[in-house]
Amino acid sequence: MSSLKRITKELNDLGRDPPTSCSAGPVGDDIYHWQASIMGPPDSPYAGGVFFLSIHFPTDYPFKPPKISFTTKIYHPNINANGNICLDILKDQWSPALTISKVLLSICSLLTDANPDDPLVPEIAHIYKTDRPKYEATAKEWTKKYAV
Amino acid sequence: MRIDSTTILFIILILFLLFSGPENDVISSEYEFNQLELLKSQFHQEYQSFQSMDPSTNFKNITGFKLSYQDILQNNSINATYPIPNKPYDDWQLSQRDLLLPQDIIDKITSDIWNASSSDIYPFNITSTLIGDLNVIANNYSMIPMPIAKFYDPSDDLSSTHPPTGEKLIQDWPTFGEVHNVTWQNGEVRIRIDPLNYQSPSPNAKEKVYFNSQSDKWKFLTVLITFSDHLEHERHIIDSKAIYDITNGRILLMTQSSKFHSIFAYPHIFFSNTKDHDHESFNQVKKLIDEFWSVSNYSQALTFGNFQDLYDNAITKCEYMGFFQLKPWSHYTKDQLKIIDDELQFPIGRPTNLSHLPLVSISNGLLFSPDCGIRMEMSNVQGKRYELQTRQRRNHLLIGALLYACEIYLLLLQMNNTNTPSNINKLSYYTFSMINLVDGSLGIVYFIMAGVLPDLYLLLLISAFLMFILASVFETRYLISIYASQINERNVNIITLMRGGSSFQMETTAPIVVDESQISNSLYGRFFFQLLIFTFLLIGSTTWPRRMRMGFEYITLFILNSYWIPQIFRNAVKGIPARNSTLNSTSPTRTPRRIMLWKFILGTSFIRLMPLFYVFTYSSNVFMHHKDIKFAIFISIWLLLQILVLYSQELFGSRWFLPIHVIPDGYQYHKSVSNELLLEHGTNKNHTVDCTICMSEVPVYIQDIEETHNIDKDTYMITPCNHIFHTTCLENWMSYKLQCPVCRAPLPPL
Repeated sequence: MSSLKRITKELNDLGRDPPTSCSAGPVGDDIYHWQASIMGPPDSPYAGGVFFLSIHFPTDYPFKPPKISFTTKIYHPNINANGNICLDILKDQWSPALTISKVLLSICSLLTDANPDDPLVPEIAHIYKTDRPKYEATAKEWTKKYAV
Repeated sequence: MRIDSTTILFIILILFLLFSGPENDVISSEYEFNQLELLKSQFHQEYQSFQSMDPSTNFKNITGFKLSYQDILQNNSINATYPIPNKPYDDWQLSQRDLLLPQDIIDKITSDIWNASSSDIYPFNITSTLIGDLNVIANNYSMIPMPIAKFYDPSDDLSSTHPPTGEKLIQDWPTFGEVHNVTWQNGEVRIRIDPLNYQSPSPNAKEKVYFNSQSDKWKFLTVLITFSDHLEHERHIIDSKAIYDITNGRILLMTQSSKFHSIFAYPHIFFSNTKDHDHESFNQVKKLIDEFWSVSNYSQALTFGNFQDLYDNAITKCEYMGFFQLKPWSHYTKDQLKIIDDELQFPIGRPTNLSHLPLVSISNGLLFSPDCGIRMEMSNVQGKRYELQTRQRRNHLLIGALLYACEIYLLLLQMNNTNTPSNINKLSYYTFSMINLVDGSLGIVYFIMAGVLPDLYLLLLISAFLMFILASVFETRYLISIYASQINERNVNIITLMRGGSSFQMETTAPIVVDESQISNSLYGRFFFQLLIFTFLLIGSTTWPRRMRMGFEYITLFILNSYWIPQIFRNAVKGIPARNSTLNSTSPTRTPRRIMLWKFILGTSFIRLMPLFYVFTYSSNVFMHHKDIKFAIFISIWLLLQILVLYSQELFGSRWFLPIHVIPDGYQYHKSVSNELLLEHGTNKNHTVDCTICMSEVPVYIQDIEETHNIDKDTYMITPCNHIFHTTCLENWMSYKLQCPVCRAPLPPL
C-alpha cells in the first residue's frame, strides 16, 4: 500500500504548509476520496468565487494520475458542464513527482490563462478568442451565480 | 472551395477512367455498316453452302478452305477464287487432296492420335485446366495462303461508303502484338476447357437457350490454350471453340478468324478410318453446328466488335487446328459417370468416391497451323476436374485461414508478454514492420484473388479479412507501442545505444514529448502507403518477363523472410544477458525477462512459411505458381538459421558474437553518490535524498563518507539526469514510461 503512505504524506504536507489559494482534504473516512477548493484568482473573471473539486486517487497512485473534476459549475473553455478538466498533466503528461498541491496550482493558473487552442468546450473557446469581453462577462455572471 | 493540385489530379483521374472505357462496338459510319453487312452476307452464303454439304462433297466457297494442301504443293503462286477449275467439288477424300492437312499429319491423326477403341468410356464433363509439355515437331510445312476479304480494310477516304471487293493476302505479319511464329522447340502448355451449352439469341439478350440435343454424344466447348517456352519469352494464346466427341474421347479445335471460317469444317474434319462411322459422326456434328448456329442467330447477331476481333485475329495470329485424344476412364460405367457428374455439380452425397477420381488427361495431342506450317505435339497434359480442384483449394484455404487465426492468438500472447515500455523497447521495430508488410500484402493478394476466383470468393474474403485484422489492428498497434518506446533513440548513434542510453547525453536538448496519437497517425499512414506501393509492385510484376519476375520474386521473398535479422541486431545492441547468467543483473530479485516468446517465434516462422511452401511445392496451387522445391527448402533453412542465432543469443547472451572490447558498458543505475550531487539536492542531513515518487527519504552511499558504506547501492537508482529514487519506486514507474519523473528526460531501459 505505497499509495496509502504517499497520500497520507501529501495530506500531512498540505496541513503543514498549506498553499495560499487552495485547500484539500479527505471526505469522511475514505483517504482515496478528497474534496478540494480553489479561490478564483483575483486577476481573472472568477475572482471572488470559491470552486469545489472532487479528487479520486487510483490505487496505483502516484503512477497513475488522480481523477479531478469540478463540482461547482464554471464557465471555462477547458472545463465542461460535468466538471471534467482538460489538462495534460492529468492525462498523458502525468509524472509521479507531481503532487495534489502542484496540480491544484496548475488548475489555478488554468483559470487565469485558459488554453483555447485545445478546448474541451469549443463554443466557449470560440467566444474566448473572438469576443473576450463577452466571455469575461459570462464567466463573472456564472461565478456570481454558482460560486459565491 | 479551395482547389489544390491533388484535387485536380483526382478529378483528372476520374475523368480519365470515365472516358477511357472500352470502345463500344458501335458502328460509327455508313462504311462500317456496309462492312458488317458484307460480313453477315458472307457468313450467310457460307452457311447455305454448309447446309448442302454431305460426307461426299468437298468444301466449296468457305473462307480458308478454298485451297487444300495438295493444291499448294502443285502451284504455290495460286491466287484463285471459287470455283477453281478442275477441282473436284463433288468428291471428298481423306487425304491432303481435300484437306488443309499434309498427308503425314492425316496419317498420324488417324493411326496414332485418335486411336480410341470402341469399348472405352469417356467422362461427359471435362471442365478443367490441364497443364503439360508442348514440343514443336516441325515448322517447315508449306504454308497455305489464306486471303482476307478486302471489305475488312478500314476506310482510307471518308467520303466512300462502299467497302472494296475482292480478296488480298496478308504477306507481312505486323511487328506489334504477339509474335505469330513459334521459334522455340520445347515449352509448356496450359489448356482451359469450359463447356458451352447455352447461347443467347442476340448480344444484348439476358436469357440463354440450351441448344445441344445430342449432349450424351457431343459437346461444344470453349478452349483457351496458352503455350510458351520454358522461359516465357514468347507466349501464344489460342482462344477458340472446340467440339468434344464423348463416344470416342476426341476433341477437335479450330480457331476462327476473318481468313478462316472454321466452324463449317468441323463435320468433315472429325474424320476416321472407317467410312460408316464417318457418315454418322458427320451428320451428328453437322446437326450440332446447325443447332448452335440457329440458336445463337450467328450471322445476324454479329456486331462490329466481332467484326474487328475476327480481323485482328486474322492479321496477328496463326490459325490452329487441334486434335486431342482423352485418356479413357474405363473402370467406370456410363451410369457411374453420370452419378459422378451430378454429384460434382450438385453435391448431395451420392455414393461415389470422388477422392479417387482420375485426372482429365490428354493422351495424345497435336496442334497444326495450316497457314504458318507449324506442327506441335503435347505430352503429359493433365489436370483435375474443375469442381474437384475448387473443392481442394477450398480446403487449403480453410487450413490457411485457421493458421492465420492462430497467428493472431500468438501475437496477442506476445503482446501480453511485453506490456511495459522497458520490454517493448528491446523489440525490433523493423522485424515487426516486415511481418506487418507481409501480412498486409498477403491480405490484399487474397482480396484480389477473391475477385478473380468467384468460386472461392467467400473463403478468400475471410482470409483477406483475417490478414487485414492481424496486420492493421494488432500488428500496427504493437508497432505503435514499439515506436513510441524507441522515439528517444532517434538520432542516437549505435555505441550510445549499446551503452544503454538514449539522448540523455545531450542535456541541453529538450526531451521529446511523446504523443501517442501523433505516432499512430504517422504509422498508420506509413503502413497503408507501404502496402499500396508494395501491392502495385506485386501486381505490376506479374506482367514482367519471366526472368525479371522470378528475380524480383526470389529477392523479395528472401528479404521478406529475413525478418528475424533486425531482431538479432536489436538484441545485440540492447545487450540482453544470457538466460542463466547473473553477470549483468546485480540485484538477485530481478531475473532477465524473456522478451520474445518462443511460442511466438516458432509459430510465426512456421505459419508464415506455410503459404510459401504451398506455392512452391504444390504444383496446382491457387496462385498458379510454378514449382521450385529447392527455393522453399533454402528459405526454410535460412529462417531456421535465424532462429538458431536467436536461440544462441538467449543461451549465451545476445552479444556473444561481438568481441569483448567492442562492447561498451551499459548505463549503471546503481552507483555511489558524489558529495556535490548531494549538496545540489539540498537535504544532506543523515546523508539522504528525498524520493519524489514515495516522498520519503532515500539513504545513499557516498564514497567520501565512511558511515554511509553500509548502504546497499542496489536500493536506490540514479538517473542519467542525476535524480535519485528508490529502486522499487523508479522500476515501478519505468513500467509505465521511460521518462524521469522530475525533469521528463528519457531514461535508458533496464
